[in-house]
Amino acid sequence: MGKGGEGSGDGAKVEEEENMAAWLVSVNTLKIQPFRLPSLGPYDVRVRMKAVGICGSDVHYLKTLRCAHFVVKEPMVIGHECAGIIEEVGSEVKSLVVGDRVALEPGISCWRCKYCKGGRYNLCPDMKFFATPPVHGSLANQVIHPADLCFKLPENVSLEEGAMCEPLSVGIHACRRANVGSETNVLIMGAGPIGLVTMLAARAFGAPRIIIVDVDGYRLSVAKSLGADDVVKVSTNNQDIDEDVVQIQKSMGSDIDVSFDCAGFSKTMSTALNATHAGGKVCLVGMGHNEMTVPLTPAAAREVDVVGIFRYKDTWPLCIEFLRSGKIDVKPLITHRFGFSQEEVVEAFEVSARGGDAIKVMFNL
Amino acid sequence: MGKGGEVSEDGAKVEEENMAAWLVAVNTLKIQPFRLPPLGPHDVRVRMKAVGICGSDVHHLKTMRCAHFVVKEPMVIGHECAGVIEEVGSEVKSLVVGDRVALEPGISCGHCKYCKGGRYNLCRSMRFFGSPPVNGSLANQVVHPANLCFRLPENVSLEEGAMCEPLSVGIHACRRANVGPETNVLIVGAGPIGLVTMLAARAFGASRIIMVDVDSYRLSMAKSLGADDFVKVSMNNQDVVDEEVIQIQQAMGSDIDVSFDCAGFNKTVSTALNATRAGGIVCLIGMGRNEMTVHLTLAAAREVDVIGIFRYKDTWPLCLEFLRTGKIDVKPLITHRFGFSQEEVVEAFQVSARGGDAIKVMFNL
Repeated sequence: MGKGGEGSGDGAKVEEEENMAAWLVSVNTLKIQPFRLPSLGPYDVRVRMKAVGICGSDVHYLKTLRCAHFVVKEPMVIGHECAGIIEEVGSEVKSLVVGDRVALEPGISCWRCKYCKGGRYNLCPDMKFFATPPVHGSLANQVIHPADLCFKLPENVSLEEGAMCEPLSVGIHACRRANVGSETNVLIMGAGPIGLVTMLAARAFGAPRIIIVDVDGYRLSVAKSLGADDVVKVSTNNQDIDEDVVQIQKSMGSDIDVSFDCAGFSKTMSTALNATHAGGKVCLVGMGHNEMTVPLTPAAAREVDVVGIFRYKDTWPLCIEFLRSGKIDVKPLITHRFGFSQEEVVEAFEVSARGGDAIKVMFNL
Repeated sequence: MGKGGEVSEDGAKVEEENMAAWLVAVNTLKIQPFRLPPLGPHDVRVRMKAVGICGSDVHHLKTMRCAHFVVKEPMVIGHECAGVIEEVGSEVKSLVVGDRVALEPGISCGHCKYCKGGRYNLCRSMRFFGSPPVNGSLANQVVHPANLCFRLPENVSLEEGAMCEPLSVGIHACRRANVGPETNVLIVGAGPIGLVTMLAARAFGASRIIMVDVDSYRLSMAKSLGADDFVKVSMNNQDVVDEEVIQIQQAMGSDIDVSFDCAGFNKTVSTALNATRAGGIVCLIGMGRNEMTVHLTLAAAREVDVIGIFRYKDTWPLCLEFLRTGKIDVKPLITHRFGFSQEEVVEAFQVSARGGDAIKVMFNL
């Protein structure tokens, strides 16, 4: 294959556009370089990327070249929260046509293992996921992707909202695993991007009361403006856990049924375990240190279950429906926008890494 | 009421004084009179015949507490029991004098949300034999609600009836962890609780069961009771030994679906977390220190859920059925027997506390 672009059927004019992408070439080094697309399979589509968001994991790869046990060993295209427009469809693709606006689910599972067959394809050991090494990501002009992982956007849902389906899916999957419903009082530890999408998802699932906890006053005010029933500001000091729990329970006013730890610290997990009532659930969403020191025994002895989540499964249709109906509004989470140039890519990641008032940084291509 | 016992209708005879084993101070058990409450319309009076000693009874003896339960005044000890009905209340229709029954220790309130929601084991007003301040059942007689006394089939002995209580812990754990014919089970800790959990798992159809312990004698007992294989591990309580996890997984031969921690140490919990497959379950039965330092994050990020258990609910009928059909044989677990006298009570608790080859110490009254 040449430099990208395909020869047309009659062999005459060849589209010469070179497909470019943002490559992670070494620690803290992103470079926009050519990205050769694989050939279009019969069940694939070629998508022109229009909106790509930056995730905390992308930033982590940039800074450390690793995330948990995934290690970047050679240059890799970054990015996985994306949406775009179909430009070409494979010969067997019937569900999509050129021109369709689609949101992409990043992970291609094998469909042959027991996890895939058992309905838990997110746990597939052979998962190929955008920007999880060694699989290239989607911060590029174009990508090739299976058609069944591209979901058509309704008229009233923008491409940026389409890209937001990915982080939103984390919140949706967590709410499903924790069985959030119309009788579930929800506590969320951490008001960063993940805590916020979890809150939006919990509300959409009918949670009657949602309390959010963080150390950062600004983030708590954002959470309040996005619909939290109440917020509690806490310290990073472990000694304060008991008092925090009292404050949080008062703020909820009744038993806390489900807690989401969207921060991943021993303190936040300990607080969640102690604050949740007997028979409830604590869902660990945030990825922290592997070893956590937590009051596990008293929680287990009250049948407070700890539920983990890994990415998501089968969430795009529901995300899109929530966005279509307005049950969820993700637009306020997009705080910064950048174009797709070398300087802007570098700056965008710096802004995202800084945190603070940067919730979701979005590329418009 | 007088000293226990009733005056007969002709006013002449006074019956026996009811005696019980009282925990009067740390390490001090005394057989003393135990005045029975009056027999309510839905109660029965039971002559105790078989009472087992539980680790929690030993713990109460040694420390006057168990978790947040504190012994503040003398309390009758014991809760694993079975006996013969001697008197039934006016409204009791299900039982008659002479019936041999096993007793479920805990009286729940029946009107809180836990009771109404089918999780009566979490009732905050639970009154449980031998959990302060409620007197236990190591006594000549007790008065108990008829609905918590379960008639023993002909071929099930009173000692086996008393074993329903520890067995219920294993049954409840297997239910919460969804053990079935496709479940490969790992059990860490081959003490009495690990053993009843193994027997329960086998009765639930578990396909393969591996036991892990530091003690060879207990492992050989587990093997003789039906474990498919066992792995002896080191006493190092600090952290997981990766080689041991590999050994355990090799002994299983295929993915470990459910792990039961029946020991309650950081190391045993982390071992279970690391050894269990993605999407599996770790069930904490062993009661360890409040704060534990465990490898929680990576397990949560593989959707390994951590579930706890608190006692049991609605398990006696199933226990008795398993005992009746022989699907479970608890008799080998009863290793030591004592009569009900001051000297024997003291000795029995010493034997039980010693551990080692003492699995279940049983009183015959």
